[in-house]
Amino acid sequence: MLLTTLILGLVLGATYALLALGLTLQYGICRIMNLAYGELTLVAAFLLVVLFKSFGLPPLVALLLICPAGYAAGWCLYTVMMRPLVQRSGARGRLEVDSILATFGLLFLIQGGLLVVFGANFTSISYLDQGVSVLGVPVALNRLVALVICVVAGGALVAALNLTRWGLTIRAVAQSPGSAPLVGIDVNRVARQGFALGTSLAATGGASLAMYQTFSATDGVVFTMKALVIVIMGGVGNVAGALVAGVALGLVETVVATAIDPGLTLAATFAIFLAVLLWRPNGLFGRRS
Amino acid sequence: MLEVRDLTIRYGKHVALQDASLSVSKGTMVAILGANGAGKSSLLGAIGGRVRPSGGEILYGAQNLLELKPHELVEKGIALVPEGRGIFPGLTVSENLSLGANPVHARAKSDAGREQVFTLFPKLAERRTQIAGTMSGGEQQMVAIGRALMSAPEMLLLDEPSLGLAPIVVQEVFSALRRIRQTGLTILIVEQNARATLDLADHAYLLEAGRISGSGPAETLRNDPAVVRAFLGGAVTAQT
Ligand SMILES: Nc1ncnc2c1ncn2[C@@H]1O[C@H](COP(=O)(O)OP(=O)(O)OP(=O)(O)O)[C@@H](O)[C@H]1O
Ligand SMILES: [Mg+2]
Repeated sequence: MLLTTLILGLVLGATYALLALGLTLQYGICRIMNLAYGELTLVAAFLLVVLFKSFGLPPLVALLLICPAGYAAGWCLYTVMMRPLVQRSGARGRLEVDSILATFGLLFLIQGGLLVVFGANFTSISYLDQGVSVLGVPVALNRLVALVICVVAGGALVAALNLTRWGLTIRAVAQSPGSAPLVGIDVNRVARQGFALGTSLAATGGASLAMYQTFSATDGVVFTMKALVIVIMGGVGNVAGALVAGVALGLVETVVATAIDPGLTLAATFAIFLAVLLWRPNGLFGRRS
Repeated sequence: MLEVRDLTIRYGKHVALQDASLSVSKGTMVAILGANGAGKSSLLGAIGGRVRPSGGEILYGAQNLLELKPHELVEKGIALVPEGRGIFPGLTVSENLSLGANPVHARAKSDAGREQVFTLFPKLAERRTQIAGTMSGGEQQMVAIGRALMSAPEMLLLDEPSLGLAPIVVQEVFSALRRIRQTGLTILIVEQNARATLDLADHAYLLEAGRISGSGPAETLRNDPAVVRAFLGGAVTAQT
């Protein structure tokens, strides 16, 4: 029983961690707080369902399309919508406020679109839902697949950020955008890459979520809120913090849902959030990228 | 090599620099001397792409620098060490140096560059893994200069490298500059520490309230009574 909860919590937590990673990257690199983040996640989730149900594409193949498509969508979104905001933001606070308002609008635009196309009903696919035994506990195969996807994508990204020259460039921009041109870094280009990468992570997270969870067109806000809670819990811009906090939140939610009541998961999330804001306002691990 | 013509810089209505012209030839070290607020950083910032001038031109060889974006200057071989150093305080010394070697032409030379920087500033070799922001002011200045050298520049722009440092550290910085200069690198330096700078430079420009008020070989300026009075203080008489 406890082991089942742990394993299910870990799967959920890994998805959350991946989602939070994208949001924290977008904020850390571009100083854009993307409130439409959960909607982008949902678009990817629906896309996976459509590709699977209407085109018969296996979810893992669909994922290979969705991941780069997310990158491209983020790239376009940045160029069309964010770039003008960035260009006219002199002081840093201005971009944060402008981007929050702009992405808040985008949230409803995407949500409206999803409602029109898919309606408000819950959607899910049945994919690899036979149970396999993990340490003697039966777990649906689709959850394990999602877990592997999140661990591989998240792990690869963290490794790239810490071990490659590309990652060093990203970290330099996240910390001191004003100094980056001194070493020949085109901050604009890196910011666009960062935003695109974040969107790609949102899409990957959404697609892997769709493999095992039921969702509806209005769930985007919940994803954004959860990702936001995790980002703040982990320390804004802190990649390792977001990973740990994401897994922790997944575990807590699963424990609350199985031990107390499934209806209380969101309440539990915000109870933790409140506690963190009150006692550790800079996050559990501080604010550093 | 560098030719600045009639450069004017305004911040709103305030004119920080008015019709300044100067030239720096290859392999020489040129100093800009002036009091606080004279416009030294504005001038250097315009050459380094950090400040948009409202008039004039800046030519580097055949290239008009005003056509370039700030991040493109390093690729052209111009490295700026700005006022306040502009290092990455949250990254290690080693990471700061690696970032210095970011331009394509510098990557191949990055091992040799690192070697050069560590010979120049042995302290940095010991502190490779230290977070740059936790270092002393003098050490951070070394990181800033080292990082600039890592970009394998043709020309180095330095804005008050001795600012806020203890006398002994200032000496250390200047002795490093002397050795950098011996490698044949072209240097344009802004300083308030006029004596040490004039001892090192070939040529200097005097900047007063946004205008170039004089210029000449460092040798001549060092003994010019007006300059002595304005920039060097009375103590110079003891030397001459
Ligand atoms: N970003 C800015 N906005 C408005 N005014 C500015 C700005 N930067 C500089 N100034 C003004 O322009 C003038 C020249 O400034 P600058 O920094 O170039 O002087 P400086 O010679 O480098 O002085 P210091 O020796 O103190 O560094 C000053 O009067 C300063 O107040
Ligand atoms: Mg200055």
